[in-house]
Amino acid sequence: MTEKPAIVLRHTGYVDPAVLREVCAGAEEEGVPTRVEQVRDTDLLALAHAAALESSLETGIGIDGSGAVAVHHASLPADEPVQRVEAGSPRPDLRIAGRTAARIVKVLPLS
Amino acid sequence: MTRRLVVGVDIGNSTTEACVAAVSGTSVEYLGTALTHTTGVKGTPDNTDGAVAAVRRALDRAGHTESEVETVLLNEATPVISGLAMETISETIITESTMIGHNPATPGGEGLGVGTTVAIDALSGASGPTIAVVGPGWDFDDVATELNAATDRGLEVVAAVLAHDDAVLVVNRLRAPIPVVDEVGAVEKVPLGMRAAVEVAPPGRTIRTLSDSYGLASVFELDPDQTKHVSPVARALTGNRSAVVVRTPSGDVTDRRIPVGTLTLRGAGKTLQVDVDAGAEAIMEVLGRVQPLDDATGEAGTHVGGMLAQVRDTMTDVTGQPAAEIRIRDVLAVDTFVPKEVRGGLAGEVAPENAVALAAMVRTSRSRMQVVADEVAAALGCRAEIGGVEGEMAVRGALTTPGTAIPIAVLDLGGGSTDAALLDRDGVSSAVHVAGAGELVTKLIGSELALDDREQAEAVKRYPLAKVESFFHVRHEDGTVQFFPEPLPSHVFARVVTMTPEGPAPVATRHSVDHVRRVRREAKRKVFAVNAVRALQQVAPGGSLRMLDFVVLLGGSALDFEIPDLIADALAGYGVVCGIGNVHGSEGPRNAVASGLVDAHVAGA
Repeated sequence: MTEKPAIVLRHTGYVDPAVLREVCAGAEEEGVPTRVEQVRDTDLLALAHAAALESSLETGIGIDGSGAVAVHHASLPADEPVQRVEAGSPRPDLRIAGRTAARIVKVLPLS
Repeated sequence: MTRRLVVGVDIGNSTTEACVAAVSGTSVEYLGTALTHTTGVKGTPDNTDGAVAAVRRALDRAGHTESEVETVLLNEATPVISGLAMETISETIITESTMIGHNPATPGGEGLGVGTTVAIDALSGASGPTIAVVGPGWDFDDVATELNAATDRGLEVVAAVLAHDDAVLVVNRLRAPIPVVDEVGAVEKVPLGMRAAVEVAPPGRTIRTLSDSYGLASVFELDPDQTKHVSPVARALTGNRSAVVVRTPSGDVTDRRIPVGTLTLRGAGKTLQVDVDAGAEAIMEVLGRVQPLDDATGEAGTHVGGMLAQVRDTMTDVTGQPAAEIRIRDVLAVDTFVPKEVRGGLAGEVAPENAVALAAMVRTSRSRMQVVADEVAAALGCRAEIGGVEGEMAVRGALTTPGTAIPIAVLDLGGGSTDAALLDRDGVSSAVHVAGAGELVTKLIGSELALDDREQAEAVKRYPLAKVESFFHVRHEDGTVQFFPEPLPSHVFARVVTMTPEGPAPVATRHSVDHVRRVRREAKRKVFAVNAVRALQQVAPGGSLRMLDFVVLLGGSALDFEIPDLIADALAGYGVVCGIGNVHGSEGPRNAVASGLVDAHVAGA
């Protein structure tokens, strides 16, 4: 079965629903769908990079157990994410992480 | 025969060039060159530091020391001070917050909604077609819940206006989609209880109804008089993807002309006045009637008046001449536009306003070059003398360009002024300075693109553009694509960039590569192509460019990647051979004056 094109968002399972909601809203406002997956990985950059490799749009988001967010692209080295948002950041910053992922897909300036 | 070390030094408005040569008899061998920023105003004692630095650097490159130098030759240069000012001459004002016309990146829904404006927390008391107005602090889920609940109660909610960027999120959660305009920063100023219309065009389209006078008349049931009144609103909204128009008793959009005072030009026995807001064409036409210009003054309290006074004051400070003796000898007016935030706008709307940029130039006959020569001699422990006049030396240096012959004209494309000099068959040379050059180009680019940063405007002027299309490739302005083996930084992703030697640098603009390129080329054409013709007409026999055979471009801007082509295009109709100087067949357009000094020294010795 082939999945519809989407930004893949991977998290460890202990993620705050409010964080997840804001990140997804950022991508939705830009009109790009996201697919949320729960995995065992715990390292933030590894989560994000694996998500990007999994996405047919080559764009992924990782959220680790602390609530930190990373946005990644499959073509980039695993340790060089496009954007990082630290745990406990205010809601607009989380929204921006989702927006960044969508703008990578749409090839629009990220900020 | 003894071998003597001679250094020619050209002190220009913005750069100082030095050129080291070994002279034995009449043979000259050029050993090395260097350039530095000119210190102080050209022709003043402050130049010494820059001149000494340039000489030392050139000697260093040539592998020689100061003690070996026999003579340093300086050019006789008259101080030229130029100034720039800009006057915005139009202004768009929205009254009573009647109109929002902006392009949020992501409006929601599509279509046209016409109804009465009601705050979202007052929807329960509303009736009839309603436009919900949502202030900051509202979450998208709550907005959608409120709107759905109102619809369920039977209220006809036809559109919404939001403060935050969440139009798509709200529309996705509505049972019946409606047009939604978001990112309206000053949403609290939207008049409530008024008839209004919200329009959102489909992606890739612009609005059709609110940008049309009869569309507005139909929506608001206007009579012919009222329709005349709203036609500026329609015009102001043209080209937008989304818009809101609120009908208030005396709401209006006006495009006002700002009076910015007069410019007084004196020359040819006449004194004429021209309104600066009449535009560049009118100013240049009046200037043409008072040639040669004796002086120019602006009205006190205006930018132009202030700039002209300041240029005069600077020259007074520099030369010690009384201000009354300092005359503005040339002005160049250029029409331009400045994106300005609309007064009364609710969403930070920007309108391109008309503006006039003015460059002015003053020169004096009182040069203090001998003081510079004495100080250079003391600093370097050698002889230093004034070897020749700038214009003549430039022609002499330009003549070493392969393929040139007398009569020859040079165009020195500098930072503050554009200079022309002519050497005719009788060996007579004449020179002229006109206002407006590289710095004016930078200013026009900066203001038309609304770049806050002068460095960015300078980069747009100097380097070709590209668009970053992925983390690994850019598309250059000519369409070619370049791959990068290392990922490009995310701050340039998808941006218009300048291809600087350090790599792609972002240009802070939402405009396309094509637009930025057009602004850049137009700024260069308006300054350099216009000034090339203006300056050459003043030195050409009988003012006729057809009498010129060879025109050689010199100076920093002759190294620009497109200015020489723009000038060649402007001169093509006159049957002139125009090209970039290549001094001694190897030096390019630099060092014409410095090596001309050495050549003149050898010929005269």
